[in-house]
Amino acid sequence: MPALAARLKDVSISASVVMTMKGRELAAKGIKVISLASGEPDFPTPAHAIEAAHKAALAGDTKYPPQDGTRALKEAVQRKFRRDNNLDYALDEIMVANGGKQCIFNAFMATIDPGDEVVIPSPYWISYADMAKVAGGRPVPVTCPQNNGFKLRPEDLEAAITPRTKWVLLNFPNNPTGAACSRAEMAAIAEVLKKHPHLWVMTDDMYEHLVYDGFEFCTIAEVAPELKERTLTVNGASKTYAMTGWRVGFCGGPKDLIKAMVNMQGQATSGISTISQAAAAAALDGPQDLVAERAAIYKQRRDLVVAMLNEAPGLSCHKPEGAFYVFPNIAGCLGKTSKGGRRIETDTDFALALLEEKHVAAVQGAAYGMSPYLRISYATDTESLREACARIQEFCRELS
Amino acid sequence: MTLIADRLNRISPSLTIAMTAKARALKAAGRDVISLSAGEPDFDTPRNIKDAAIAAIERGETKYTDVAGTLALRQAVCEKFRRDHGIDYTPEEILVATGGKQVIFDALVATINPGDEAIIPAPCWVSYPDIVSLAEGTPVIVQCGQNTGFKMTAEQLEAAITPKTKWLIFNNPCNPTGAAYNAAELKPLTEVLMRHPHVWVFTDDIYEKLAYDGFRPATVLEVEPRLKDRTVTMNGCSKAYAMTGWRIGFAGGPLPLIKAMDKLQSQSTSNACSIAQAAAVEALTGPQDSIEEMRRVYQRRRDLVVEMLNQAPGIRCHKPEGAFYVFPDMRGCIGKTTAGGRKIETDEDFTLALLEEQGVATVHGAAFLSPGHFRISYATSDDLLQEACTRIQAFCAGMR
Repeated sequence: MPALAARLKDVSISASVVMTMKGRELAAKGIKVISLASGEPDFPTPAHAIEAAHKAALAGDTKYPPQDGTRALKEAVQRKFRRDNNLDYALDEIMVANGGKQCIFNAFMATIDPGDEVVIPSPYWISYADMAKVAGGRPVPVTCPQNNGFKLRPEDLEAAITPRTKWVLLNFPNNPTGAACSRAEMAAIAEVLKKHPHLWVMTDDMYEHLVYDGFEFCTIAEVAPELKERTLTVNGASKTYAMTGWRVGFCGGPKDLIKAMVNMQGQATSGISTISQAAAAAALDGPQDLVAERAAIYKQRRDLVVAMLNEAPGLSCHKPEGAFYVFPNIAGCLGKTSKGGRRIETDTDFALALLEEKHVAAVQGAAYGMSPYLRISYATDTESLREACARIQEFCRELS
Repeated sequence: MTLIADRLNRISPSLTIAMTAKARALKAAGRDVISLSAGEPDFDTPRNIKDAAIAAIERGETKYTDVAGTLALRQAVCEKFRRDHGIDYTPEEILVATGGKQVIFDALVATINPGDEAIIPAPCWVSYPDIVSLAEGTPVIVQCGQNTGFKMTAEQLEAAITPKTKWLIFNNPCNPTGAAYNAAELKPLTEVLMRHPHVWVFTDDIYEKLAYDGFRPATVLEVEPRLKDRTVTMNGCSKAYAMTGWRIGFAGGPLPLIKAMDKLQSQSTSNACSIAQAAAVEALTGPQDSIEEMRRVYQRRRDLVVEMLNQAPGIRCHKPEGAFYVFPDMRGCIGKTTAGGRKIETDEDFTLALLEEQGVATVHGAAFLSPGHFRISYATSDDLLQEACTRIQAFCAGMR
C-alpha cells in the first residue's frame, strides 16, 4: 500500500453513510429498521424528467457533453436563477457538475491554497469541512446556537473572519437543522460580508424550495447584489425534484471563478451524464406544481415529528423553517442507561443504542459538529415516521 | 489574495484551444470542416443498453447509490475482469466513478504527496501529467518513438525509476498512438517492476476491446499476478460500448487503496449517475456482439487511413495495433510552405494550416507531449475518412 496523500489524513467518511450502512446490515438480518439517517427525498423523480431522459437516450444523446454542461441545461439553469432568485447569470457564469457536492469541491480545489480559511456556520454538513481540508484549507466553524434558531449571528461571523478567510459558506435552509434565514437576517449577514472585500461567499441553496408556513426563501446575491461579483450560488436538482441518483448540481458565479472550476472539473471527471442533464433541464423547465405539493407533505411530516419528539422525555426539538431535517437536543438523556443496558454519555451512544434496541437509524449531532443532538430526516412516509417517533419516545421513557 | 489556487496554475494550459476555436469559427462561417479530432466512437450506444437504462428509471433507481457504485455493477465488473483477464477481484475491491478520468483522479489525488514522481510513457493523454501536477506530484515523461512502435522499453522504464517514484501510469492500447502491448511485450516491463517494490502501477485499459489483426492487448496482472497488491486496473464503458456521455469508469485494486479512493470520491462527487450504472451493468453482462461489429469497422478504417496517409509526401504513418487513432510523423513537411503560403515550422503550424486550407481538424502532437506528429481519430464514417485523407494528401502535395 502506498502511503496515502497527507491531504486525505483528516478526511472522514460521512457519518450518515456509516449509519445508513449499519441500518442496512441490521435490515439484512431480517430486522425491520426504520432509517431516518438518509438525506434524500422518498418521492420519485417527476414523470416529465423521466420522459426527457428516455428521449435523450433513444435520440443518441450519449456522447461526451461539454465540460461545463450542455447548452440546453445551462439555459434552463439561467432561467431558473432568473425566475426563482431574481439573479442574472450569463451562460459563461454557469456550470453543471456531478451533484452540488462537486460544485463545492471544484470551487475549493480551484481557489484554496494551504492555510486559507473557510468559515462554516455550525452545525454543518461535514463534507464542507472535509472538502476544504482536501484542498489544503482550514475549516473555521462558527456556532449557530439553538437559542438563535440555529442561525448565524452577524457578530459571531464578524469574529470568525481573519485576513486568511477565503470563503464564507452559507447553507440555509440548513442540513442538519432545517434553519432558514429571513431576508432581514440575510441582510444582516451581508452587512458583515460587505465589510470584508477579500473574502468570497458560497451559498448552498440545495433546499431552497423546502420551506414551510409561508416562509420566503432568499439567497445572498439577491439580498445584497453588491456581493454578487464574489458569490458562488450553488443549487441542484437532487432535493427539489427528488433526483439524487441522477447527480446533477449547478452553480452561478463570476466568470473567472467558473472558468477555473470548469478547468478543475476537466481534470477530475469532465462533463456529467448526458441523460441526467436532459432530465434536469426538463425538471427545471417543466411544471413546478409538484414542488409545492411535496413541500406541503414535508410540512405535515415536520409538524408530526416535532410534536412527537417533544413528547419524548429528555428531548427538546426546535421547529425549523425548512429542509427535511429536525435536530432535537438530547441533553436530557445524557448520563442515563438504556433498557438494553447501554450507558448514554454522548449523542453517538444515543444514536447507536437507538439503532440497536429500537431499530431506528438517525445520525448523531457530533457528525455535524454540534453535540448533543440527533439529526432526523423526515423524508420518509408518514406511517414509518409515526412508528419511528413512537419507538424514540419509548426508548427515552425506558432510560433510567 | 488572488482567487485562483496555485494547484490550478500547475496544470498546463490546453494546447488544443486554438485549434478547437478555429474549427468552430470555420464551421460557423459555413465552411465544410471534417473533424478527426474527437476522442470518442461515432457509433451510438447499443439499444439493449439504452433499454436497460430506461428500465432502471422505471424501477425508480433514481436514488443515491453506494459511493463506490451499486453492488450489481461492482459484481458485473468483477465478472468482466475474471472473464476477460482471469483476474479475481471481490466487489469491495472495485470502485465505479464518473468516467475513467475520475478513477485516475481518485487514485492519484489520494496517494501523491508533493514531490512524488509518476512515470508516464509519451506520447500520452495529457490528463495524466496534469492530474499528477494537480496532486503536487512530478510527472516523469519517457519519450517512446516510432522506432519502437511508440512503446516503452524495459531499459527506459528501469532508467526512469528513482526512490521517489510512486506510480507508473500505463495506457494500453494507447491514446494517441494506438500502440498496444501483448503479453510477451509486457513481460519485460513487469520484470522491471518486480525489482522495484515501491512502484505502483496504474493501467488504463479503456481501449482494450479495440485491437486489430488478431492482436490481443494484455493487462499487467494477467502477465504478472504478483503485482496485484500494487496495481490499479482501470477500464470503463466509454470506448468499448460507445457510452462516452454516460460517464462510467471503473477499477479494481487493493482494498486499502480502493477505500482511500472511495473516501476521496465521497468528498468530491459521490456516486456516478445511478441510471448510467444500470446501463453499464447491461453493457458488461448483456450480449457482446456489438463490440465485435464496431471493432471490424474500426480495423477497416485504420487500414484505409494508414494507407492513404503514407501516400502523402512528407508523412510517415505507423500502423498501430489498437484504439481508434493513428499518430503520423509529419517532420518531413517541416521547413516547407503550403499552397496557401503558410510556413510550416511546427506540428501546430501544420494542423492549423491543414484546418484553414483544407478544412480537416486534427490535433497536433505537442498536445500529447510529442511534437513532430499529429493525431487522427478514425472514429468517423469511411466516406468522411476517405475525403479527409484525400485532402491531407492534396495539402502535403501542394507544399513546396
